[in-house]
Amino acid sequence: MRDSMVFDRMTLAVAVILAALPVLLPSASLAGEILIFAMAALACNLLLGYGGLLSFGQGLFFGVGSYLSALAMIHGGAGLLSALLIAMAAGAAVATLVGAMSIRRTGIYFVMLTLAFSQMGYFLAYTLSDWTGGDNGLLDVPRPDLTLFGVTLVPLGNPYAFYTFIAVLFFIVFVGAKRLIGSPFGSTLVAIRENENRALAVGYDTRHFKLLAFTLSGMVTALAGALYGMLINFVPLSNIELSMSDNIVIMTIIGGTGSLLGPLLGAGAMVILGEVLSDIWPRWMLLLGVGLILIVMFLRGGLWGGVEALAARFGLQRAAKEERP
Amino acid sequence: MLNLYLFQILNGLGLGMIYFLIAVGLTIIFGLLNFVNFAHGAFFMLGAYLCYTLLQLTGAYWVALIAGPLIVAGFAWMVEKVLIRHCYHLPHTFHILITVGIALILQEGSILVWGPIGKSVPIPDMLQGVITFGKFAYPKYRLFLIMFSAVVGFVLWVLLERTRFGALVRAGSENPEMVSLLGADIYRLFSLTFALGVGLAGLAGVLSAPLRGAHPFMGPEVLGLAFVVVVIGGMGSFTGALVGGLIIGLVQSLMSTIWPQGASLMIYAAMAAVIFLRPYGLFGRA
Amino acid sequence: MLTRRSFLKSGLAATSLFAAPSILKSAHAAAPVTFYGLKSLSGSFASYGKFAEMGSQLAVKDYGPLLGGAVKYVTIDTESNPGKAVRKVQEAMAQEGAALFQGCTLSSTALAVGKEVAKGGGVFMTPAGADEITGTECNASTFRWTVPTYGAIHETVRPLFEQNPKAKRWYTITPQYVFGEALLSAAKDLFQQLGIEHIGNSYHSTQEQEFSGYLTNAMAAQPDVLLILNFGGQASNCLRQAANFGLKQQMKVLLAWTAGLDWFQSLGPDLLEDVYMGAQYWHQVQTPMNIELVKRVKETYGISPNYPMAADYISTKVILDGVKAAGTADGRAVAKAMEGMTYEGPTGKETIRAADHQVIKDYYLLKGKAKSAMKDADDLATLISSGQSFPQGDKIACKMA
Repeated sequence: MRDSMVFDRMTLAVAVILAALPVLLPSASLAGEILIFAMAALACNLLLGYGGLLSFGQGLFFGVGSYLSALAMIHGGAGLLSALLIAMAAGAAVATLVGAMSIRRTGIYFVMLTLAFSQMGYFLAYTLSDWTGGDNGLLDVPRPDLTLFGVTLVPLGNPYAFYTFIAVLFFIVFVGAKRLIGSPFGSTLVAIRENENRALAVGYDTRHFKLLAFTLSGMVTALAGALYGMLINFVPLSNIELSMSDNIVIMTIIGGTGSLLGPLLGAGAMVILGEVLSDIWPRWMLLLGVGLILIVMFLRGGLWGGVEALAARFGLQRAAKEERP
Repeated sequence: MLNLYLFQILNGLGLGMIYFLIAVGLTIIFGLLNFVNFAHGAFFMLGAYLCYTLLQLTGAYWVALIAGPLIVAGFAWMVEKVLIRHCYHLPHTFHILITVGIALILQEGSILVWGPIGKSVPIPDMLQGVITFGKFAYPKYRLFLIMFSAVVGFVLWVLLERTRFGALVRAGSENPEMVSLLGADIYRLFSLTFALGVGLAGLAGVLSAPLRGAHPFMGPEVLGLAFVVVVIGGMGSFTGALVGGLIIGLVQSLMSTIWPQGASLMIYAAMAAVIFLRPYGLFGRA
Repeated sequence: MLTRRSFLKSGLAATSLFAAPSILKSAHAAAPVTFYGLKSLSGSFASYGKFAEMGSQLAVKDYGPLLGGAVKYVTIDTESNPGKAVRKVQEAMAQEGAALFQGCTLSSTALAVGKEVAKGGGVFMTPAGADEITGTECNASTFRWTVPTYGAIHETVRPLFEQNPKAKRWYTITPQYVFGEALLSAAKDLFQQLGIEHIGNSYHSTQEQEFSGYLTNAMAAQPDVLLILNFGGQASNCLRQAANFGLKQQMKVLLAWTAGLDWFQSLGPDLLEDVYMGAQYWHQVQTPMNIELVKRVKETYGISPNYPMAADYISTKVILDGVKAAGTADGRAVAKAMEGMTYEGPTGKETIRAADHQVIKDYYLLKGKAKSAMKDADDLATLISSGQSFPQGDKIACKMA
């Protein structure tokens, strides 16, 4: 199985993209933002692409990650790694809770439950303004240096240094997700997506698998949220708004849910197009709307699907097929 | 004090009827087409803006009241033919994606047409003023709204329960293939249902315009409420939309006296609770 | 950098599209003084950003030449999204050495951007509403033109009460978040001072668009004055529905904080008639600079200046004045030069208080005109009173580091 190899072609492609992004883009912080959202989209894809679970709770996990890591650093004096670990633990916990309740329903009712929890989380963050800063946002979020046992390993004040840190984390998450998808867990998840009743009949406890997917997704999304707070030294309330969930879901689908590379493409396209188009035309969201329609009509595999189709046309089908998880 | 609650109940009824109108279109579309329409709020907004423009052009409210929803419905009919019908067979994810795209186009397009600042719509002269009860007063326009929505609701009920169209819609929502076997043109039926559902959102927009004005970003709020109502009532259920709308209207009004801070929170908590206790909503079927 | 340029020249269509911002932005770096306008051009605050952008552009055109060389003006679209705004500011500072910033409508964006600019030693002036900007979260780089909630309450409640001393029973409607609470607590203090009876308050969430319930609460309390403390779209709906419930006939209605002319235009004279409104700026005010500004805006854009336009026009000018006074575009020097500066502003003589970087200026109480009394389409309100009220001495929350 090529999938279980760490350095197969797809992994190599990701490594190349990670190295090239800050060079090709005008700034390292833009590149960092792309990776952060790509990470969130990747976590979303774990649920949507592999588990067939459309969750509007991703913004909640993202917000929980950014708030808790920021609070741990501001009030608890937590360092970089402990803040990130706290965020991941909290994200995993909240996602497990939301998942446990939501997966009891299916279809549109499942979607609406995740949406309801997401909204409740927003109102909670909005109400607890002594802690979250409410509408003004949580200010003065530090970006500590990378230290281990009191020794500073890498200072992260420089945007390129921080980008590198994000890129390393992204790479770890990517490789981890890839191994996971290649494992029996991943194939079971896909089996559940394809036909839950059959998976049940075969003897899988589908709930456990779905729940674990939620936990992992929440953990990674919260990590992305925590990194975002550190990137902009600030946690705006919009981090936990419904629009954050929307954005993450849209990035995931635009990128293509059939692959682990899709989310990176989707996040990159959304962030970069927003950056370029908003400079040119304030009504650029109209074009985004047109783009979404075009994707549904002509490119249902998302951008990754487009890449695959192109690859196939140029006689690279074999490679493209093999990279498929 | 008792009076205050009575009035909040009256407010809740008025509000609930608007919510019913917004939600019933969503629920019909979901029921027959199994299609999730995230552009519903944007069509509501379009209705509100059309109300403004038609009033500017003709000066007659009733023209806006009739022509507004018809234009929205006609537009929806076209959108269904060109885009929506190619998506019915796709998973819900794609329904959401394409309708979010349509909603974005409508939102940004309305800024291009009507500018980024909202518009106000005056209350028609005939319905200006209030009816007073002691120290309380209730606007005539809101009373008109309750009655008009009730009439629309009744007509809709007759249409769905007592006509061939309605029978086909109901049959189609259970078994589309059977309807085509009956010889009905299922695609025409789908187009009409989509236009009807979206036209109702447009009607709700026209009716709300004097209370809420028209604003490019009013869609998402309305969409959120419509989904809550529909989920509480049960996706696809006409009665559910009515009961769900009234429940949310009443909860919102009473909460504004009892615990205003929590009003929005309660709505979503109520939705979650209903899904737990009755998986398919109050009146929904599996 | 070199590799990047040559890479772009190689003509890969997709890559050059992706890298377009780098071309656009680095082109500006050459000018001697580069000024950055942070405007919410896309997203849900587009209505504000459009006029704010017009104001800044005009100010750069009018006052840029005074600095000798041309002033380069760069617009940063905040996309009505605090995260994007902060990231774009970081980039401008790190890559182009940007130091002069002005704008931000949203309080959250302004607060966070202020922190970023301070870190890089720049200067930033904003018309945002949060008192924290020149209060608890103040810093050496950040300035604010807008009168704080304290002044908004004092300059509206006091003159209205003095004109109507019999109106002793007041009811308030408040959005429950920092801004609303600030207005409410200022109002409560003043009520006590003036002997006004505060007979009730309705809180609502910032998501609320339906006010019938709260208005019914207010009606039940039978106040003389209804004081509405929300603003923007919420204030529109609150006022619309209050008029609908006939409250305007039963009591006086005061909105302490309104967005001014563009907001008035969206509501129209029928709704505004006889309603009292607080405003940061009013185009009919007869000060030397405002007369000039109205004329300039009329001939350039063909409209009357509104609050976003005037606020960003004067804030842009003040920073450029600072550059001139300091003789350098270095952020810290400009900020120093701006402290304590007095200048002719659209509201008359305006002073930047050194202690908290708050501009000391007039706030207005307006009253909506009847349609029949209007001289032109923008003549929507009469000026009732104007004046300056600011927290003084130990009431200044700002502790400048």
